[in-house]
Amino acid sequence: MVARLMTDLDAGLHFRHGLIVLTNTRLLHFEDAGSSQPSFLAWKLAGLQEFNLEEMGATIALHLIGNGTLLGQWRVTSGCLRQAEAFLARFREQHRSLSGEDTGAAARDHEVEEDEEEIFAAEDAEGYIPPGKPLLRLLSFARPWYRLLFLGLTLTMASTGAQMIAPWLTMSLVDDVLIPLQSQTERVHVHLVYVFITELALAALLTWALNWGKTFVVARIAEHVTSRMRRETFEHLQRLSLTYFNRKRTGDLISRIGSDTEHLSLFISVNFIDFFCDVLQFIFTAVILFSINPLLAVAALGPVPIVAWLVQRVRDHLRGGFAAASRAGSQLTSVLADTIPGVRVVKAFAQEKREIERFRVADKHIFDTNDRVNKTWSFFTPMIKLLTDLGLLIVWAVGAWSVAHDTITVGVLTGFVLYISSFYERMDSMSRFTASMQRAAASAHRVFDVLDVKPDVPAQRNAIKVGRLSGEIEFRDVKFRYGSREIIRGISLKIAPGEMVGFVGPSGAGKTTLVNLACRFFEVSEGAVLVDGFNLSDVDVMDYRKNLGLVLQEPYLFYGTIAENIAYGKPEATRAEIVAAARAARAHDFIMRLPDAYDSMVGERGQQLSGGERQRISIARALLVDPAILILDEATSSVDTETEREIQAALDHLVKGRTTIAIAHRLGTLRKASRLVVIEEGLIKEIGSHDELLKSSGTYARLHEAMLEVNHA
Amino acid sequence: MSTPQPSCIEFAKDDLGRLVLVDQDGVRHVNVHPAKLFPLTEKDHWISIQSEGAREILCIEDPQSLPEPSRTLLLDALAMRDFVPIIQVIHRIVRLADGHVWHVTTDRGNTSFEVETDESIQALGHGRLVIVDRRNTRYLIPNVASLDRVSKRKLEHYY
Repeated sequence: MVARLMTDLDAGLHFRHGLIVLTNTRLLHFEDAGSSQPSFLAWKLAGLQEFNLEEMGATIALHLIGNGTLLGQWRVTSGCLRQAEAFLARFREQHRSLSGEDTGAAARDHEVEEDEEEIFAAEDAEGYIPPGKPLLRLLSFARPWYRLLFLGLTLTMASTGAQMIAPWLTMSLVDDVLIPLQSQTERVHVHLVYVFITELALAALLTWALNWGKTFVVARIAEHVTSRMRRETFEHLQRLSLTYFNRKRTGDLISRIGSDTEHLSLFISVNFIDFFCDVLQFIFTAVILFSINPLLAVAALGPVPIVAWLVQRVRDHLRGGFAAASRAGSQLTSVLADTIPGVRVVKAFAQEKREIERFRVADKHIFDTNDRVNKTWSFFTPMIKLLTDLGLLIVWAVGAWSVAHDTITVGVLTGFVLYISSFYERMDSMSRFTASMQRAAASAHRVFDVLDVKPDVPAQRNAIKVGRLSGEIEFRDVKFRYGSREIIRGISLKIAPGEMVGFVGPSGAGKTTLVNLACRFFEVSEGAVLVDGFNLSDVDVMDYRKNLGLVLQEPYLFYGTIAENIAYGKPEATRAEIVAAARAARAHDFIMRLPDAYDSMVGERGQQLSGGERQRISIARALLVDPAILILDEATSSVDTETEREIQAALDHLVKGRTTIAIAHRLGTLRKASRLVVIEEGLIKEIGSHDELLKSSGTYARLHEAMLEVNHA
Repeated sequence: MSTPQPSCIEFAKDDLGRLVLVDQDGVRHVNVHPAKLFPLTEKDHWISIQSEGAREILCIEDPQSLPEPSRTLLLDALAMRDFVPIIQVIHRIVRLADGHVWHVTTDRGNTSFEVETDESIQALGHGRLVIVDRRNTRYLIPNVASLDRVSKRKLEHYY
């Protein structure tokens, strides 16, 4: 078997499982795969001509053609698109190698698809994740600190053991000192009291010291593990392509690295270790009790499982309520997050009343859910107390009976009660463990989810280091699909070194996608992008991007000084270079008007700058790296005409002698462009200079006219 | 706007005590004032000379390379404009309803100032902190690590 594809629809679009299998020489189709009597059809590869894929809305059709007729037709839901594409690629490759047309290129494709298949295999395996699996994987993160881990375990055992000393001493204290003292039937060594008190004090000190050490060591391990997770996740995130970031919400990614790892740290250092201690305590207690008196031990420990089960039941009941309460809380937050930033809109439309009402409803919801939880919860804590009291009652009853029959002493009974009541105290915290484990598993899963994503712009092993480029860009039959949508549908264009080309067209035409392909933020689905004759997919990405300068519609400034922001792409730049770049970008004058000049803090928490000022800083940033290829993506769209003129002057400086691709809605930005490329629906509609395009009165002429109308209106 | 050879330019003081610049083309600019490009990170280099109307006339990379008496005149003019007290000891930080009052000893004596938010405390790297008070005066802590223990404790609550 070379490859297989599960199909999930039949020809009539009903859900039904089928399987297409590709072997070295044949293609087979099984119907009702999984049932006891699958039927199948088979074709020899040599007799086949084509295997096509056609997207039909939410489903995908596969057509198998041989000898000029349609041999088979299958449908899959669009969720299987990537699998289907991978399968078809394998089919074509196999078909080609059969007909002896195999080329070197196929070998490379092969590797890529192999990776993809692994991804699919991993995806299939997902679905339900048992909590143990991600938590076990946490252990692998702790490997470098195994010595510390060992120390932590030893300390935990020792401290739990130390807790057992006090009740043990109490037994002798009661039997050898207190009872004789009271009955006064024999001579009592009073100094024994001092000995016992000292021993008890020492036991308490030992427990304290061991607990201290244990807590600190365990907390440190937890911190090491989560710090490593945070670091690795962030590093991994930086390696992922833009397509991944487009799919994910920023807030979600931030919370995965920020709070999910925090949950895990808490789980390891508190919940898990508490549970571990409780289990140890249970075992130790059981061993001690049985060694003293098996009958009483059975009576004392017998109710434990029943009590534990009851506690677990009540807690399960509560958990749903707590989840509902936290959901209600987040609903309230989202009302706030909606209304407060949007307060201008609220006031402008005089909708304060409605927002108040919305808030009132959310607030009422919180009250109701919390009230419900409180009802159960206020019942729950006394309930546990009752259950443990009942358990103790049994010990007292059996103990009293045994003392009466002289099978045990009063001291032993006291010891038993102390052991078992300290154990029952932990019952509540033990019952919380399942919930915290599930929460931690969910957090671990969310973090590993990020770590397991493979970069879809794969790193090449023998990537070409391009060095300094002259800046020739060629799009060769480029196609790009995003999910099931074909965004670029076959574009060929050659841009000479130093040429400025403008991309115009309606929103959603694919201009930005094309630019992202040129930056290799996305990988082409078909065709190739070549720079200076190198295929971009063979080129070392980091090395290539050193040649790129990017000026975007929304310039992004990091939290830091203006000088640091200008030098972002070249941290080693001298102050002279920074100032020169700022001058060329026409930013120097306004920077000098800021209170700390080049040392002014900007970014989210820093000095407020206008859109035009931010844009000029980002132009200075691009100028400083002296890029061979310059991308201007709507660089002047978000500013007024006056500022646009300032930016334009800065840009004129920037584009000189560089290959420039400029996307603009304001056609004025493109007046220096030697060619304008009109893009519509993923295809090139027209190419030519401003005047040529106006004369041909096509799409560009229409756009131009529309813009003039808007400006004059 | 340029960075000319320092030897070609000259500073003088006129009878009204204003700073006068004669630039490399021999043009006389009266009542100019110097401004630092990097007032916090490189305060002894990169001086912009601005005209009365706050337009930059020229830029001097290293004032030390100016011949006397121009150098002294420029450095004096800078010193007159430069007011970034350096915090040496933090005595108390008192929380107010909307900010904090800092009581400190600086290289210019004891003082207290009001700081609005935590965002007014900015890290510039290498342990360097700038605190901007309500009146936009800047206070500098050149190296947090070299503060005394008590001051560091006090600072820890806010930064």
